[in-house]
Amino acid sequence: MRKRVLPISAPVRFTFSYAPALSGLLVVMGMLLGCPPTLQAQNLTADTTPTSTAQMAMTYLDQLQDLEKSEAWPGIEPALFLKNIRENISHPLGLYEGNNTNFCGYAALSYLLLHDNPLGYAKLMMELYREGRARYGKILFEPSPEIREAAGKLKFKGALDIRPAEQLWFLCLADHFKGYLNLYNRHYHSGDEDNFWAAVNYGKFNRMVRNLLNYRVVARGSDLIRPSVPDLYDYISEQMKTGTTVLYLNNTNLYKKNHDKLRWNIPTHYVILLDFERTPDGLIRIIYWDYGLRTLQQLKPEFLRKNIFGITHCLKKTSIEP
Amino acid sequence: MNPRPAYLMVIGWVALSCSFCTSTNMTRYYSQHHGALDSMERSYKQLYGFSPFSVLYTDRSFQQVSLEIVTDSLKYIYEFGTQEPRLKDTLIRYHLPVEGIYSLMEAMRSIHCTWISNLDYYVDDKKNSLVYISIHARALRFPLKSKKYYILTYFPQPQYYDSEGRLLDHRQRRRLRKINGEIFHRINDRVCYTVSDLFR
Repeated sequence: MRKRVLPISAPVRFTFSYAPALSGLLVVMGMLLGCPPTLQAQNLTADTTPTSTAQMAMTYLDQLQDLEKSEAWPGIEPALFLKNIRENISHPLGLYEGNNTNFCGYAALSYLLLHDNPLGYAKLMMELYREGRARYGKILFEPSPEIREAAGKLKFKGALDIRPAEQLWFLCLADHFKGYLNLYNRHYHSGDEDNFWAAVNYGKFNRMVRNLLNYRVVARGSDLIRPSVPDLYDYISEQMKTGTTVLYLNNTNLYKKNHDKLRWNIPTHYVILLDFERTPDGLIRIIYWDYGLRTLQQLKPEFLRKNIFGITHCLKKTSIEP
Repeated sequence: MNPRPAYLMVIGWVALSCSFCTSTNMTRYYSQHHGALDSMERSYKQLYGFSPFSVLYTDRSFQQVSLEIVTDSLKYIYEFGTQEPRLKDTLIRYHLPVEGIYSLMEAMRSIHCTWISNLDYYVDDKKNSLVYISIHARALRFPLKSKKYYILTYFPQPQYYDSEGRLLDHRQRRRLRKINGEIFHRINDRVCYTVSDLFR
């Protein structure tokens, strides 16, 4: 991994004696608000974002000797696990978060990993499977016994039932990363994949992308207040020119427009934005990825403005920072 | 006048409405409408063979319809007024039978069905599909029910149930099967129901 010299102006310097308290306050605000852009400068490290190709990952998997059944993961058969990993590398859009789970944030994060560093993904998954623990970047995954017991045995989640690699990976992520939504349910019990144990608030999502994958993250929005950008269309279009854009939105309203007189407008879902353009009739055509599929939808600009709560722009760190 | 009997009547009515026997009503609803419901399921399965799709009524007045059409590369979600010519154009574009879809939509509207789709589920790691039908609770006239949708599932083959009529995962395992996080109850060998906050 190449090291890079930080630009002189990059770090935010505190010269006051109360700097620790102030920085702590800023961190708390960042967690709640999804980390506003002013804090992003702190996240620049000397590292570059690790990248590789699908071909490199496949070569690595081809070189592996027979994978033996792991004692750490009693519910996972090695052949099915390996097949699942190969499928994810050759067809990353097929990654599936499962019906009725709270794994959408982890799936969006995995989209980045599978597209930009499939070799890293393959090595991490193999180490996790064999050793029951593994390190990726700064993060050491040490899944709890409950997670190791549950992985491979999740049922009634659609295609996730037959995808043990996704089960293992999403459970490990939810077990390791915690946000304020997970405060009252920190330890896994059967069925917790559907509730607050697995929930991902906006600050946690951005933190995961930054800390685990080592991306430069520019985030606008929060869990409750929509992003204040003067022109949403222009802002998102500009962001999409570089990096990957993740939207944090109210998924329920995307489908059910007017079944209820009273509707809660809170964000519930993460999607990867793939295309975003204005149509001649004034609508906005979006293509996004979630649930193992790309979806095309035409929406009114006002509807989008009301239902997007977070826009996260993930940029690979290179040896020469912009 | 002693107000107690009036209070008791009101409390009794509220309690009755809240704890109304869903199973009896759903079974009765199905027996009253099974002709329309079964025909809708058959029609949907036949049309699905042309191209995978789902239909959703997005409003309470059943005037706006959302079509989800799945192709090899993309899922398209469109929303139209039921009278808009764009709806017909879209059906033609995706090689869906126009008259069949219009008949299906009319059948859905007549019984306040908000959503019909195909749902994949797995038994012994093998993929199966069921037809998933959501009916707005308004159709069953339970004003105080908090859960808004009555869900019917049509399985392709007879299912296993426990002694309380709850859908089981497997004949041997005796574990309750959940669909979208809900436990389902028997109407007949192939058809189950539940009540849910969510229509899909």
